[in-house]
Amino acid sequence: MPLPNQPQESEEAVEGASPTGPRRRFFAWAIRAIACALGLGFLVPATGYLISPALKRRENAWAEVGTVADLPMGDPQELEYTQTVKDGWRNAAAKKSVWVTKQSDGTITVFSPLCPHLGCGYRWNSGDQQFQCPCHGSVYDVTGKVLGGPAPRPLDALPTKVENGKLWVIYKEFKSGLNRPVEL
Amino acid sequence: MRISARLYDWLDRRLNLQPLERSLLDEPIPGGASWTYVFGSATLFLFGLQALTGMCLAVYYVPSPDAAYDSVEYIQHEISFGWFIRGLHHWGASAIMVAIGLHLLQVYLYGAYKRPREPMWMVGVALFLLMMGFGFTGYLLPWDQNAYWATAVGTNMVATVPLAGDFLVRALRGGTTLGALTLSRFFALHVLVLPTLIVSGILLHLVILRRVGPAGPWDEHRAGQTREAFYPRQVFMDAVVMLGAFLVVALLAVAVEFPLADRADPADHTFTPVPEWYFLFFYQLLKYTPGPLEPLASWGLPFLLVLGLFLLPILDRTPERRPAARPLAMGAGVLFLALVFTLLGISLRSLYAQPRMDPSVAHGKALYARHHCAACHRIHGEGGKVGPDLSYVADERPDAQWHLRHFRDPTSVSPGSIMPKFPLSDQDMTDLTNYMLSLKSGGAIASDGKGAA
Repeated sequence: MPLPNQPQESEEAVEGASPTGPRRRFFAWAIRAIACALGLGFLVPATGYLISPALKRRENAWAEVGTVADLPMGDPQELEYTQTVKDGWRNAAAKKSVWVTKQSDGTITVFSPLCPHLGCGYRWNSGDQQFQCPCHGSVYDVTGKVLGGPAPRPLDALPTKVENGKLWVIYKEFKSGLNRPVEL
Repeated sequence: MRISARLYDWLDRRLNLQPLERSLLDEPIPGGASWTYVFGSATLFLFGLQALTGMCLAVYYVPSPDAAYDSVEYIQHEISFGWFIRGLHHWGASAIMVAIGLHLLQVYLYGAYKRPREPMWMVGVALFLLMMGFGFTGYLLPWDQNAYWATAVGTNMVATVPLAGDFLVRALRGGTTLGALTLSRFFALHVLVLPTLIVSGILLHLVILRRVGPAGPWDEHRAGQTREAFYPRQVFMDAVVMLGAFLVVALLAVAVEFPLADRADPADHTFTPVPEWYFLFFYQLLKYTPGPLEPLASWGLPFLLVLGLFLLPILDRTPERRPAARPLAMGAGVLFLALVFTLLGISLRSLYAQPRMDPSVAHGKALYARHHCAACHRIHGEGGKVGPDLSYVADERPDAQWHLRHFRDPTSVSPGSIMPKFPLSDQDMTDLTNYMLSLKSGGAIASDGKGAA
């Protein structure tokens, strides 16, 4: 707020004690300094407070998705599981799914269920032996390699581990449309 | 020209701002600027701070019995500066009460409520009541034990109003019990209804101030000697006090933690609720009132007090403003203050004399939380079901030595136990044991000192 630098000399009301000249400028300066200090004193913590959740990374935890022995060789399966995820102040049960394939050499690959092109859910066509995305026609082979369509990168593999015959994965999401996986 | 000056100039040529600015800043103050005139501005500033911190809290707070406590705990512990924003709001509420008290005292002492300022005084009393309403409704929102039981007592007091009492308490609670409907209506009152009313009231208070002008010193001669403008010295004094008020509130928010009590539990009758300090004198007064006279103290006296305060400028119509020439008014004021502060003092003393939770038990409880014992164990419905329920563990295992051996190595006293050994110091084990021994039916929370000392 711009403040008048000189008193209104014609005004009868302000004659007498109202300071003029350098004293008046000192008060104007001090009032602004205090206003700035108060503004900063509140705005700095308030900004941190308001953007705080935006700065938190997704918490990735291992989740058990199934038994290795139950997986058919070479035939991708969509496994659904429920995981407790932190949703702000509450712990929510979130249903997730991943594509799991026991490859012919016995290794297990787990893919994020979202097409790397624009995030649609793709499916396995066992007749064509291909993963096919219904949205924009991206096609992948059983190892996740791009066979056709607009997909910029192979299917996104997720970290896996096997403990006592159980398969565990860490669910992650990646930015779509890039030619390499960038975690969200 | 600087950008800000050019912008001001641009707006001024269109909106003719200068007369408005002159009228706002060059308001004459009879007798000149003074440090005694800062309390109204301080109250206004603190109200603004409450509004801002309140908006911040509303970003994460959820007004439902299932979620309120968790969301406040989330603000307190997981959001950056959450504890600070919540601390500012908590201590800001107390600071407002102090500022209002000083403002009221100054106006009373200076006789500034007298003609022609009666309407300004009456609106001021209404603003004070609205502020009490903020304190009462806001206290419930965290939905912890303190919030729940203090509001239970507060609403019960409304029930003592003759004839309409039962209906009033149901209307206030949104039914017969204090629960989800109470919380949501208190929330709506606290963040929508009361703010709308109080902002209107504040504007009215200020418009009246501009119509009648500030009262100035009680000495007519002094008042006529100088007529200084509001700007710059009074603005400067107001600003300094605002900064001081902010620093005090911020310092309290940093230095004095305002922890949440346990989650509200309507079944736990062991909890002794304590009202905010600005209701304490009243709380103490109720202790001296025998049963049949209860309604007199719980609503009769406050009603008369508020009515008297509201009608003060009508009851006291002499134009005399010098305190020395108003012995009756000064005597009544001093008597009232003496009474309030005596009750407050007695109340504070008896509060601190009451047995609080044994510090060892409190520390044990904190250890229980820190080591996530509730992941496996359950206490009064809170926690997992892997290990035994510990709600009344002291009934089954009253022996401190058993607990100590058990914490050192669970399998030593409980073969086949899957409970892990925790890396606890001897003191920690003692405190945790004392906490276990405090968990018994009969509900005494404080340890009787016969534990694992």
